[in-house]
Amino acid sequence: MAVFAVFQTTFLLALLSWRTYQSEALSEPLPLTPESLKVSINSTQQCLHLQWSVHSLAYHQELKMVFQIEISRFNTSNVIWVENYSTTVKWKQVLHWNWESELPLECATHFVRIRSMVDNARIPEPRSWSSWSSWEEVDERNSLGHGALFVFPKDKLVEEGSSVTICSISRSYQNNVSCLLEGVQMRGEQLDPNVSAFHLNNVPFIRETGTNIFCTTGRGDGTGTVLFVSKVLEEPRDFSCETPDFKTLHCTWDPGSDTGLPKRQPSQSYTLFESFSGKKILCEHKNWCNWQVAQDSQEMYNFTLTTENYLRKRGVNILFNLTHRVRPMTPFNVVFKNISDTNATMTWQVHSIGNYSTLFCQIELHGEGKVIQQHNVSIKVNGNYLLSELEPDTQYMAQVRCGDANHFWKWSEWIGKNFSTLEAAPSEAPDVWRNVKSEPGYQTVTLFWKPLSKSHANEKILFYNVVIENLDEPSKLQLHSIPAPANGTKLTLDQCSYQIHVTANNSVGTSPASVIVVSGDTGNKVEEERVNVTEDGFSMSWKPQPGDVTGYVVEWCDHPRDLPCDLQWEKLGPNTTSTVISSDAFIPGVRYNFRIYGISTKRIAYLLEQKTGYSQELAPSDNPQVVMSNLTSHSFTLSWKDYSTESQPGFIRGYHVYLKSKEGECHPGFEKAILPDDSVSCKYKIYNPEQKTFVVENLQPESFYEFFVTPYTSVGEGPLDAFTKVTTPDEHSHLLIRIILPTVFCVLLIMIICYLNSQWMKEKCYPDIPDPYKSSVLSLIKSKENPRLTIMSVKDCIPDAIEVINKPEGSKIQFLGSRNSLTDTEITQPAYLYLLPTEKNSSGPGPCICFENFTYNQAASNSGCCGHVPVPPEAPSQLGLLTSPENLLKVLENNYMNSLGEIPAGETTLNYVSQLVLPLSRDKDSLQTDPPVPALCSEYKMQMAIPLGLASPPPNEKSSVSSVTLLDQGEPHH
Amino acid sequence: MDLRAGDSWGMLACLCTVLWHLPAVPALNRTGDPGPGPSIQKTYDLTRYLEHQLRSLAGTYLNYLGPPFNEPDFNPPRLGAETLPRATVNLEVWRSLNDKLRLTQNYEAYSHLLCYLRGLNRQAATAELRRSLAHFCTSLQGLLGSIAGVMAALGYPLPQPLPGTEPTWSPDPAHSDFLQKMDDFWLLKELQTWLWRSAKDFNRLKKKMQPPAAAVTLHLEAHGF
Repeated sequence: MAVFAVFQTTFLLALLSWRTYQSEALSEPLPLTPESLKVSINSTQQCLHLQWSVHSLAYHQELKMVFQIEISRFNTSNVIWVENYSTTVKWKQVLHWNWESELPLECATHFVRIRSMVDNARIPEPRSWSSWSSWEEVDERNSLGHGALFVFPKDKLVEEGSSVTICSISRSYQNNVSCLLEGVQMRGEQLDPNVSAFHLNNVPFIRETGTNIFCTTGRGDGTGTVLFVSKVLEEPRDFSCETPDFKTLHCTWDPGSDTGLPKRQPSQSYTLFESFSGKKILCEHKNWCNWQVAQDSQEMYNFTLTTENYLRKRGVNILFNLTHRVRPMTPFNVVFKNISDTNATMTWQVHSIGNYSTLFCQIELHGEGKVIQQHNVSIKVNGNYLLSELEPDTQYMAQVRCGDANHFWKWSEWIGKNFSTLEAAPSEAPDVWRNVKSEPGYQTVTLFWKPLSKSHANEKILFYNVVIENLDEPSKLQLHSIPAPANGTKLTLDQCSYQIHVTANNSVGTSPASVIVVSGDTGNKVEEERVNVTEDGFSMSWKPQPGDVTGYVVEWCDHPRDLPCDLQWEKLGPNTTSTVISSDAFIPGVRYNFRIYGISTKRIAYLLEQKTGYSQELAPSDNPQVVMSNLTSHSFTLSWKDYSTESQPGFIRGYHVYLKSKEGECHPGFEKAILPDDSVSCKYKIYNPEQKTFVVENLQPESFYEFFVTPYTSVGEGPLDAFTKVTTPDEHSHLLIRIILPTVFCVLLIMIICYLNSQWMKEKCYPDIPDPYKSSVLSLIKSKENPRLTIMSVKDCIPDAIEVINKPEGSKIQFLGSRNSLTDTEITQPAYLYLLPTEKNSSGPGPCICFENFTYNQAASNSGCCGHVPVPPEAPSQLGLLTSPENLLKVLENNYMNSLGEIPAGETTLNYVSQLVLPLSRDKDSLQTDPPVPALCSEYKMQMAIPLGLASPPPNEKSSVSSVTLLDQGEPHH
Repeated sequence: MDLRAGDSWGMLACLCTVLWHLPAVPALNRTGDPGPGPSIQKTYDLTRYLEHQLRSLAGTYLNYLGPPFNEPDFNPPRLGAETLPRATVNLEVWRSLNDKLRLTQNYEAYSHLLCYLRGLNRQAATAELRRSLAHFCTSLQGLLGSIAGVMAALGYPLPQPLPGTEPTWSPDPAHSDFLQKMDDFWLLKELQTWLWRSAKDFNRLKKKMQPPAAAVTLHLEAHGF
């Protein structure tokens, strides 16, 4: 017992002393040094993990302390991190602290030390730190194993846009490591002879299999690492929940990008947490989740949708009242009842969302793809609505959707169905117009009508009925049934007035009739006016007609150049006096003619006005064919009368006459103009489109000009064509023509006359055998010399020889003794037939009958054609002087006169004396003194005794011709 | 089994295998044994086809791995691919191989490569790639059967794998993803080299197996008796 008491006392003393020590310790700074510091590496997280404890703490003592941690890299002096870590320390507590390194921890030796300080408010400042723990070294490089090159971190997962440091460790000092990021070399930093670091900023997402980094020393070795870059986890968007039936909440959201990487990180997960009930579910789908509504009539819900991946966690929250998030299910069982031609009843059903809930439904009626009616209706379970104002025989689609009427949140899905209304007779009369052509004795009426619109036809139109009623004989009716889809018909009627009824018919019935009246009256003619054109179309107005007019009709052709021209019309009310006509068929450059008719109360149309115009005028497309006429040395006339101004692509306003000259100067009235081909020309403007002639004046003679005529409209002129070339003639050429031509004509005429009368003239003036009785010589001789001298008659001669002259065929033979001598054109071979006996036939001056004709002897001396040159007996020696015609003539004259004077009457030698007409210019005295000497012979041969020695060689045929020719060319003999 | 149009070559290969085994069936081996020549020819044709098919597949897969693996001159060290059967061999050694050894080496190589390729298929992330790999595996299975047929025709036994030594191509936990990609790269490269070698192997066999004309005549006469 005493031992026990001593032990108890000792214990109490010891306890007392400890308490005392403790109280002292609290009052002074305690040297609570961190102990058992252990440092490890988490390669995946790139973290240094520190753990230590504070052994000096009392039992159950809790002490707030601050630990200062220092981290050095490569060596202890290279401190890279200092951090104070505050925590409450308990007895025997092992403390932990992590530090994430930017540089992969495998690439460098790290040193860690720690010290502490009590962080107690009761302890006044300054508090003192404990001593540092010893440096703890962490070096993973020793455990890397074999290999020459290493790259860290391995398979690191980062978010897109973050920064990463890659490091490489080479076993060899000489190795110069180069690293490629996706094939592109990176710039590194040498941290250590063996360690290089590569800093990557704002890394992008490239592919799900990661971004490859490959490092090599260039010696056949190489390794790398894969950097897994994940997309940044996004906050779910549009998170909302709704219930269709108060049993299930359907929550949806937009998840954004998928951050999953197949080998490194699964796709982000989604968790739904409801704070009121404390329930949590993991959503199987990435964008929606269903939540079962509890039966305990919970109204308020506070949902938190959380998404997370390895790198990030994000959440979004919504708070709502369940009754305000009702979206009814899609209505069902849509049925159409009581369908007529204009009405139908739509019925449908909805899923109940509660006993007292009311649904608000919306009905839409679609026709031809458009919404044509929209209605709202409140219902409980079954809905119905009467759709009215429908078109007969029309297909519609009606759809319905519903929402909670009490707290509208969202519409349900649409549900729709098609239906068709029943058919009906056409509801409107067809729009009818006519074209009347009056011919003698009859009229041709062409009826046109427009097809009824679908809303008016009510069903497919099958045929049109045309009833023709003769107003002069009302009992006569004609019915024509025209099958659809015809839009007109042609009627031939007499000149009576007719009332025409046109109706459209479908399978159900007949439309109201459209009535027009045509009369035999051809109608009045009105002046055509030009119509104004606006952006909207042809704007036209007309004067209001006095009296009763039931309406107006504007008529035109959409294709006026075609046949048929596609007649169009527009009916207007009686109070309308203007309209704008537009049509897609209107094209620029086409002239459209509009006729405005007034419709009388008797339904007769009469023409009021006529208008014409272009939707858009164009420049002329072609130029007129210009004819040039009246070309003189100073002017010419151009005309293009065939050019029609009506069928042009615009109103022709006039013409431009272009004239080019070498001088380049423009005549008065012309102006200089530059043509599209940049050539310069003179232009004359004709402002009257009907002036189709133009006289180009003031031109230079013998000058070259080019002209070109083109019409112009308000838009411009016609195309530039080739210029026509013209050269003005010489100024005197017309005079020459006026004088020379008639002169030449006259000369020619005279020559022709002369030729024609040459025979006559020859006969008259110089016959081959002159008539001695007509010779003036005779009278001359008679009167002056010898009154007894007379003309020997041939019949008094006794021929002793006949000279036969060979002549070519067709020649005329001169018969001796005949007064009418025939002309010998050629003499070929003379021969003599001696009829009387002579002493010497061959030569010698014997008794002979010789016919002398001195008329034709002039050229004989030159030609020498005749061997019978008459030589006067007394003067044979003179022959040698007969060298020229003048000499010859003189000689002849002299000899002749001498011989006449010397020859006594009754001599045996007979001389035939021809009539010799002497030239008037000769001296008559010399003529009288010089007897004629026959020097030459022609066809007419002189028969006289000629000494053979003096006789010329017998003429040949050729020489005879020469003599004749010579005669013709000689001076005329009279 | 899901039969697709793309599997036609695999089916053809299987059919070839079956056809090559037919001569071994006594009931069918009564008439006109053409010898192993056509079988070798078909196996040769199949290697050429697979070579062509692999070119397309490897292009797709290496693009899937990304650069630098899809670069034409990329030649990384063969770090983790040491277990792959090497196709490269000294030329003299290759020439001196007897038919049995030549065929056995081919058979063993493709047996291993097929297992590795199936492992690769399991790891592929995209469905399209998995389909392509599965199709190629089927074709390679056909080639393996074809080689087995040739060996059977020549009377050589098939090499028996040692129990428990089934090669696998599963990622080593210690392996980084980059090393795994390098292994995948080497697998495809070695497969390509093997197909080139096999074409040469079977071409050599084909020439060797072509019987001289006299021998054919004798062969037919023997059958006549």
